[in-house]
Amino acid sequence: MAPRRELMKINIDSLLLCLISQQPMYGYQIIRELESKSQGYFKLKEGTLYPALHRLERAGLILGKWRLLPNGRYRRYYHITDKGYQALLAKRNQWQDFFTAMNLIIQPASI
Amino acid sequence: MVTALSHYLDSIRDNLRLDPSTEREVISELETHIEDRLQELKDNGLSEEEAASTCVGLLGSAKLVARQIYEAHSQGSWRQALLASAPHLLFGLLFALNWWQGIGWLLVMLALVLATAIYGWWHGKPTWLFPWLGYSLLPVVGAGLLLLYLPKGWSWLAILVYIPLALWFIFSVIVQTIKRDWLQSSLMLFPVPIIIGWFLAVALEGKFPEFSAQRLQDLAPWIGLSFLILAASVAMFIRLRQRWLKVAILVVTGLLTLAMVAYYAGGRLSWPVFLVLILVMFGLFLTPALVERKVRHRWQRPLA
Repeated sequence: MAPRRELMKINIDSLLLCLISQQPMYGYQIIRELESKSQGYFKLKEGTLYPALHRLERAGLILGKWRLLPNGRYRRYYHITDKGYQALLAKRNQWQDFFTAMNLIIQPASI
Repeated sequence: MVTALSHYLDSIRDNLRLDPSTEREVISELETHIEDRLQELKDNGLSEEEAASTCVGLLGSAKLVARQIYEAHSQGSWRQALLASAPHLLFGLLFALNWWQGIGWLLVMLALVLATAIYGWWHGKPTWLFPWLGYSLLPVVGAGLLLLYLPKGWSWLAILVYIPLALWFIFSVIVQTIKRDWLQSSLMLFPVPIIIGWFLAVALEGKFPEFSAQRLQDLAPWIGLSFLILAASVAMFIRLRQRWLKVAILVVTGLLTLAMVAYYAGGRLSWPVFLVLILVMFGLFLTPALVERKVRHRWQRPLA
């Protein structure tokens, strides 16, 4: 479990940017999406989500906006910014290069 | 709301130490998250208490969450760093360029400090305000010293009226600052031991509060340098994220600057006086931390 958590910690920014780039999302929705899209692999400690979101927002990669719901409650939806898109593209390329290089070495045929 | 969750949010609020509007946003966001999670857990058949305890477990340590959110917000921009260090920088230039001899410059400086402090105080008390606020308290102390020059009889009457009023004003500003964050209060009071040190270094022996203009002239470059060091420390303070590093930068540069004052004071600051100044510095740094829990405002919004 520990290595998975470490990997998650390293890649949390990429995961959050990727999810938010698909549609504006609020915190609780992000946790549910992360869990369902990864088929239960990514289980984020809920308290660690908000520091990560606030850090990305301070860096100008996402933007939080309060939205009034029909039931009168407010929710904070996060939107990706242009700077966030650029960062996501860079992170995606970086990840693909890493994944390709890892596969060249670790793939079953070479063992 | 279930008590465990109220305590959880209170604990987050107590440890956030952000400006009030950001703090409100963070707490509201966490509240809506908790409401969503509670509803889901209750829909899955858990009782109110079980759902609350599971929810707290899923969120993790309140202190850790608050600290991480604080660190996400605590780093100021370079512009804020410059703005926060500006009063030290201006005081540094006042002495380094010998502007302190011109009453015009002193009045301009006084007006600028007061105007900036009042502006920041009424615009959400941002972090850059507190060094300005510290300097804006100097005229209050200065006016008290000037009362000593009133005719005999009148001076004591004025002092008896003025001192309690001045102390009340200074303490209420400090308490208001501690409510925001004790570390901002330490930032505000940061130059006090240095100013006292230089004041003692230029004071005429046995003629308090008179000072030697010649001695002030001789020491002006070093006084200027000490304020420039304070300016650099404050800029670093604003740019750092971690709280313990912010404390460390104030303590280390405070001690070094005080040692510099003692060195250039050339015997005017004896060892006992130097040690008392170090104690004053630690007292000013740490007392706000000790009284914070008693005075910190608890902002609460009941859950729907």
